Amino acid sequence: MMKKINCILVFLLLAVACKQPSTEKKHISAKTGAAEIRYAKGFSIDYYDAYKLISIYTGEGKSHDTMQYVLLPKGSKAPAGYAKAQLIHIPVKKLIATSSMHVALADFAGAADAITGLGSLQYVSSAQVRKNIVAGKVKEVGIDGTMNDEMLISMKPDLVMVMGNPDAKFSKYETLTSAGVPVMLNSEWLETTPLGRAEWVKLMAALMDQENLVNEKFDTVEKEYKKLAQLGKTAKHKPTLVNGMPYKGTWYVPDGDSYMVQFFKDAGTTYKWGNVHGKGSLPLNFETVAPEALKADFWLSPGNVNSKKEINAIDARYAYFKPFKTGTVFNNNKRTNDLGSNDFWESGAVNPHLVLGDLIRILHPELLPGRELVYYQKLN
Amino acid sequence: MNKLKISVLLAIIFAAFLLDVALGSIHIPVRDVLKILFTADKMDEGWIYIIEKIRLPKAMTAVLVGCGLSVSGLQMQTLFRNPLAGPSVLGITAGASLGVALVMLSAGTITSLYTIKELGISGSWLIIVASSLGAALIMVIIVSISSSLKDNVIVLIIGVMIGNITLSVISIWQYFSSPELIKDYLMWTFGSLGGVTGEQLILLAIVVAMGLLISFFSSKLLDALLLGDNYARSMGLTVQRARLLIIGSTSLLAGGITAFCGPIGFIGIAVPHLARALFNTSSHRVLIPACCLIGTALMLICDIVAQLPGSQTVLPINVITALVGSPVVIWIIAGPTKLRGF
Repeated sequence: MMKKINCILVFLLLAVACKQPSTEKKHISAKTGAAEIRYAKGFSIDYYDAYKLISIYTGEGKSHDTMQYVLLPKGSKAPAGYAKAQLIHIPVKKLIATSSMHVALADFAGAADAITGLGSLQYVSSAQVRKNIVAGKVKEVGIDGTMNDEMLISMKPDLVMVMGNPDAKFSKYETLTSAGVPVMLNSEWLETTPLGRAEWVKLMAALMDQENLVNEKFDTVEKEYKKLAQLGKTAKHKPTLVNGMPYKGTWYVPDGDSYMVQFFKDAGTTYKWGNVHGKGSLPLNFETVAPEALKADFWLSPGNVNSKKEINAIDARYAYFKPFKTGTVFNNNKRTNDLGSNDFWESGAVNPHLVLGDLIRILHPELLPGRELVYYQKLN
Repeated sequence: MNKLKISVLLAIIFAAFLLDVALGSIHIPVRDVLKILFTADKMDEGWIYIIEKIRLPKAMTAVLVGCGLSVSGLQMQTLFRNPLAGPSVLGITAGASLGVALVMLSAGTITSLYTIKELGISGSWLIIVASSLGAALIMVIIVSISSSLKDNVIVLIIGVMIGNITLSVISIWQYFSSPELIKDYLMWTFGSLGGVTGEQLILLAIVVAMGLLISFFSSKLLDALLLGDNYARSMGLTVQRARLLIIGSTSLLAGGITAFCGPIGFIGIAVPHLARALFNTSSHRVLIPACCLIGTALMLICDIVAQLPGSQTVLPINVITALVGSPVVIWIIAGPTKLRGF
């Protein structure tokens, strides 16, 4: 009798062991292609017969540590082999956005109406989303530490988009994922080029089933950007500039790994910290940057100010900078709305050609005569 | 003997002041620094700007902060007869922080901020006004409570409690604020000597001078208080009035400095101990000037270290005051000279 049981056990074990490889076989349906990602380094999209697969990578290169998301139409069966991947039903009808960038991506993909929750109702520029907020269709869910998990779960969103990179601890979102709410870590801010950042619209396109529209729009953006960059790069005179404003003695200047510096390069400028590579910004003390600011041709984005008088009120020493004296201080807050939200960080992120156009108009007025500034304004 | 000690301290202060102005991220030879300071020779425009607009005001601020915080700490320790007392314990620093949090964490969101801007107060002045008002508010509460209480220890405990309440209010506020605003506020709490220039420096000097003057004039009161309230009363002293005067000047010093430079820790607690150990006395007529000298020297040295000469970054002053100062205090207190004055 014992022998028999043993035999059965062995047989069962063998059966299980044999079954193992078949679950390893990932793709039931054949791969049909991949989205063409030309600039962004942080994600890829693969297409299969019955589903799409999004992979989000750590900042640099295609490291093996990736977050995977399986996108498939509602009602269809999840493909086997993606034990760790999260499932997202597409097209996403209820999206929770927690940063300006997410709003911009959805807006670009023509899917602003899908946003049903926002980290903060205050920091929005999109007209469509603002309208939905007024109509009570969008709820405030909080960001990071103050995220209201209970409310989020009860809203049954198709996807919660959060800022972060896969290096960050995902465990803080486990309450949500274990309740069946997919959470996507969006790390577009790690991209080092403006087009790379903007290309994340393709990720939104996959989520919204809007590939054709978005690819077409992105191609236009890219073409326009490249045309302008060509114009800027060939400019004979390369003016110098400083960006930002010191705070409490520390001046955070963008470095060679910042998409802002790519803008500066494409706009045809001489930027002192363009070849320093680091984390995107360098914390320098005031006296390191001051000699540069004293003789710079331009001063861009000095922060939350609307006039030179306000700059002077913050610190009278800034009035000695050459751009201050010659009136070449430009701020990127022209499109700030009544709530204090600056559209530069929203639509500007997915319209890099407009930002570059502004910069060339400012730095080389003769190259784009008559062009109206979109995001930047001259401070008087 | 005291004269020798004072001249040594003065020499240290002079050297530290010069070094503080001479050292920094941008290398400027000492000879050129002296030329910029004392002659009208034509020099590199960037260098002149760095010396005159950045390093000199910063060193002067260090002097004012060093004097003010040390003396306010000394007064608190005497008034409460507690070696752990300092300007921060009465909740004055917390009050100033509340004012700053009010401005920073609500920045750009409430329309009232716009109203304040319309009044012509903007930029750094807004922070200073808010901070002073916050410190004054807590001060008024403490003084009104203390005028009906006889026991200094109870006043001290109430001060600490009110400080805690204030900090909780700030924490709640931070919890619901956006990360960028929290970062701004956090940077402020690290303390900085670098932002005080021009008119602000003059105003800070006036505030500190006023606080110090009151302090000097009340040095006899402080000596008497050290012997106990009853003894002070027997000497014909109105303890209540003395207490108000001392709390007033402390608030002026601590509140004013916190408003301009952020909450700078450690100096207020440590320097009085150093002064007592070094001068071996508990007479305030000696201790007050001694605190000024030691506080100034320590603050200047901390600022030199914080600049990390030669590097392009700068550390927050608050980190350095504790990091450099704490071992010094431990050494002095645990060493041959014992903690005195209590």
